[in-house]
Amino acid sequence: MKKRALIILLFFLALVPLGLLTDAPAWGEWDNEYYEKVLGFLPEGFKNASGLNPILPDYSLPHTSPVIGYYVSAIVGVVLVFAIYFILAKIIKGKN
Amino acid sequence: MHIGDGYLSPTTVAVSYAIAIPLWIYGFKKLKEKLNEETLPVIGALSALSFIIMMFNVPVPGGTSGHAVGAVLISILFGPWIGFISVSLVLLLQALIFGDGGISAWAVNSLSMGFVGSFVGYYVFKALKKFKFAPFISGWSGIVASSFLVALVLGIQPIFWSHNGHPLYFPFDLKITIPALVGEHMMFFGIVEGIFTQVVYSFLTKKEGVLV
Repeated sequence: MKKRALIILLFFLALVPLGLLTDAPAWGEWDNEYYEKVLGFLPEGFKNASGLNPILPDYSLPHTSPVIGYYVSAIVGVVLVFAIYFILAKIIKGKN
Repeated sequence: MHIGDGYLSPTTVAVSYAIAIPLWIYGFKKLKEKLNEETLPVIGALSALSFIIMMFNVPVPGGTSGHAVGAVLISILFGPWIGFISVSLVLLLQALIFGDGGISAWAVNSLSMGFVGSFVGYYVFKALKKFKFAPFISGWSGIVASSFLVALVLGIQPIFWSHNGHPLYFPFDLKITIPALVGEHMMFFGIVEGIFTQVVYSFLTKKEGVLV
């Protein structure tokens, strides 16, 4: 199952730019301008939402093409997920 | 379904973390029991796959888009707690590195896409195990159930937290969120999640094959 799981992962990773075919946002995930336009005002919570400055905002790399930014984001995500699990496994092993 | 920062009242955030933290602790214990040299690469790969599959935005009528989550696949292969914890970890990375979903909403997002999706998918799968299309139906059910919790949490914001008729946080109430979110998941993203779950599950569990 290990080998097949990796094959599936690489398959979808290679195809990931297909996710860029639409730039429609998800329902409820609009930007502040949308809420202002529809409501005529911006709810307090949205005004005060600080949020961090993400390193790869919206899966894009500033100043590069969207496809490259999307690939880089996908690879960074995959590497970080594996890193987390390997660190967890190390910690668990260390404790036993 | 990724709720962002500023969408939820502080009370909602506090309650959601109070519910999620003990579940994360218990789920983490379950994960510790399951992780070994055999399962680690598979659980890692399927969690990474959940991250990747969420990048496949599918446009739908009405000018919005959505995607599969991949929680049910992990849950029917390794159990619902593993699905919940894996998706929670993915959501944390998405919030921290990519600005997808809020830090304050991490608990709600984990409870909806992770917990509810994994558990509903798991029990539907268990009940229908004998049927060929059990993975499809469990994938569909899991993500639709997730969308229901998202719609509920978003939809109560303007009902409970408004000032002079102006909503303070997410502005649309249940009458809008339930049909919009649950509806689009029943009609579109549930099908995507179902096909994804069915195809990948069959591929991973097929006995004989050229790829082994």
